[in-house]
Amino acid sequence: MRRNAIHYNRKILLRWGNGSKLENPKLPEAGPADTNPAAPIATESPQALEAIEQQLDASGSPSPSVEPPPRTDEVLPPIAVEPVLVKKHQSLFEEQPLPVIEVAPRVLRYRTRRDFLLFGAGAVATLAGAGFLLPQETLSRLGMRRDMSSPTKEWLLNKALRIDDDVSEALYSRNRMVPTYTKSQITPLKNNYNGATPDPGYISGWNLTLDGLASGLGISLDIRNLTTRFSIHEQITRLVCVEGWSAIAWWAGLRFDDLLRAYPPTSQAGWARVESSVNLDASGDPDPYSMSLDLATARHPQTLLATHFNGQPLTVDHGAPLRLLVPVKLGLKNVKAITRITYSAEEPKDYWAERGYSRYDGI
Amino acid sequence: MGCSTTPRTEAISASTLLEQPGVLVAKRHHLLVRWSHWLSVPILLGLILSGISIYWSSPIYQHKPDPLTGNFDVAADIGIWICAHVPGLHHYSSPPDWIYNHISLGPGILASALRLHWLCAYLFMLNGVVYLAGLVMGAGWRSLLPRRTDLFDALTMFRYYVGVPFAKLIHHKWPHPRFETKYNALQRTAYFSIAVAGFLSVATGWAIHKPMQLHWLAALFGGFDKARVWHFWLMWLFIFFVVPHVILVFDDGWDTLRGMIVGWSTRVKRSQAIANEQ
Repeated sequence: MRRNAIHYNRKILLRWGNGSKLENPKLPEAGPADTNPAAPIATESPQALEAIEQQLDASGSPSPSVEPPPRTDEVLPPIAVEPVLVKKHQSLFEEQPLPVIEVAPRVLRYRTRRDFLLFGAGAVATLAGAGFLLPQETLSRLGMRRDMSSPTKEWLLNKALRIDDDVSEALYSRNRMVPTYTKSQITPLKNNYNGATPDPGYISGWNLTLDGLASGLGISLDIRNLTTRFSIHEQITRLVCVEGWSAIAWWAGLRFDDLLRAYPPTSQAGWARVESSVNLDASGDPDPYSMSLDLATARHPQTLLATHFNGQPLTVDHGAPLRLLVPVKLGLKNVKAITRITYSAEEPKDYWAERGYSRYDGI
Repeated sequence: MGCSTTPRTEAISASTLLEQPGVLVAKRHHLLVRWSHWLSVPILLGLILSGISIYWSSPIYQHKPDPLTGNFDVAADIGIWICAHVPGLHHYSSPPDWIYNHISLGPGILASALRLHWLCAYLFMLNGVVYLAGLVMGAGWRSLLPRRTDLFDALTMFRYYVGVPFAKLIHHKWPHPRFETKYNALQRTAYFSIAVAGFLSVATGWAIHKPMQLHWLAALFGGFDKARVWHFWLMWLFIFFVVPHVILVFDDGWDTLRGMIVGWSTRVKRSQAIANEQ
């Protein structure tokens, strides 16, 4: 094989030598050292090709174990090589000539047919796969009446979501702070209540209920308990919506971490279910909103139970009297008008995860 | 199957010892490069279609609400214009929604679009790794590196392509500029840029996907909102690349298209040049 490579190398040099301009002719060392990997060495030797030719009907692929036929005159007189040697070794980044090989027409036809059949099969499989993965809504728009949802499709797409959630979780660090801004960078924050803004009547009798505590008791706190007992922290951070818009806003409130310290959850708890019972749906009917929050994120120093927005107590639009502000998560995790927090060992249900969004939502 | 044989010359047949006449082929594309090239077609299509569906939920380009229609979105403006000017669409039920309803996977399916976008995005990154591996293993990466002469040569090629239709019309001789490299300068610039665009799409994608954990990356593109603009226009770069790419491949001929499927080309220019000389 080695001799063969040299032999081939020489052939290519012949072509190159005549075809290209000899700007800086340099004689490389002759011999095996010459066959450096960057040189245009034919990667399929004629021996292997002959073997293919002989065995084409049987196996159809090159078999290195086949004994090459005896060759008598493959050693070429070195004198024939020298006049056509070109500048051989170029810089690492310089383009090298394409490797040229000689292939028997039969082999070439066979390979072409094989590759085109593979290509066609791949194209058909891809089309089928794409049709399979398209959302039902899109298929309906295209005129597909049948329900094309399948457990496999859900599994695959959810798998992609879970992988992405795992990546988000791996990226999270309690010590990594989100960027904070100055007051001049504040941007308007729209009232994004999904559906209708609740009637402010709930505020007067509002309480925050804590469940799943180590003490085994349910705790009920009013807003005065919360604002007087805990120290209030301010931050100007960005709230990013899953839809793609974002707003920089000035918040103040107590740290979730401080609440966790004051009222520790059971030792097995890894999750908080943060709920707002006053949420309404688009037609104004009660639509309790709850979402899951891992306690690692709840303990982040920038995760607040916010009581103030732009220096004023929260308005109904922004979730009076207490909302979750968790800037390392998408806006949909920032529950407005929290009424209950329940700690649990198992991951609780999540309003948007049930509607096809991810569960972790770390950003 | 269109495997034209190169005329064999004395010199070549003297140095080859095969009994049967062979075909000289140049190896152009490594197997992994070919795979990733074709896989990028469905993946990019999935990314673009789901990406536009995501875009509809919060368009970047907005203006002050129109006093008459209340419309604030540029895409809706285009829809209104299309419905007003394209025959057969005058009675479309909701002109502002025309673009939304006809481009992308459809409006109002953010959750489905996001799931598909993440799936395609991870496949796109894997595919990028496969492509790079193919470039390294097939030593094809050198052919893609920009050269100092590329700007001038690319302009020459551009001039040639622009002139082809006119030259054909007036039966004027319009020779293809000669080049001795695997790709001409315009091709090289395009292929190199599109690889960079792929990398930037991934980088801007991560910047807007994880603007808090990767806030330094978002800052690199001018912040979260600007990274969205980058991501949006990089999508257009792919679209602008694909159109001439496909046209020119068909114009260039069967050998070029087949080359991306089988990996080799029967255009072995230099040996033919020798054949002519001898």
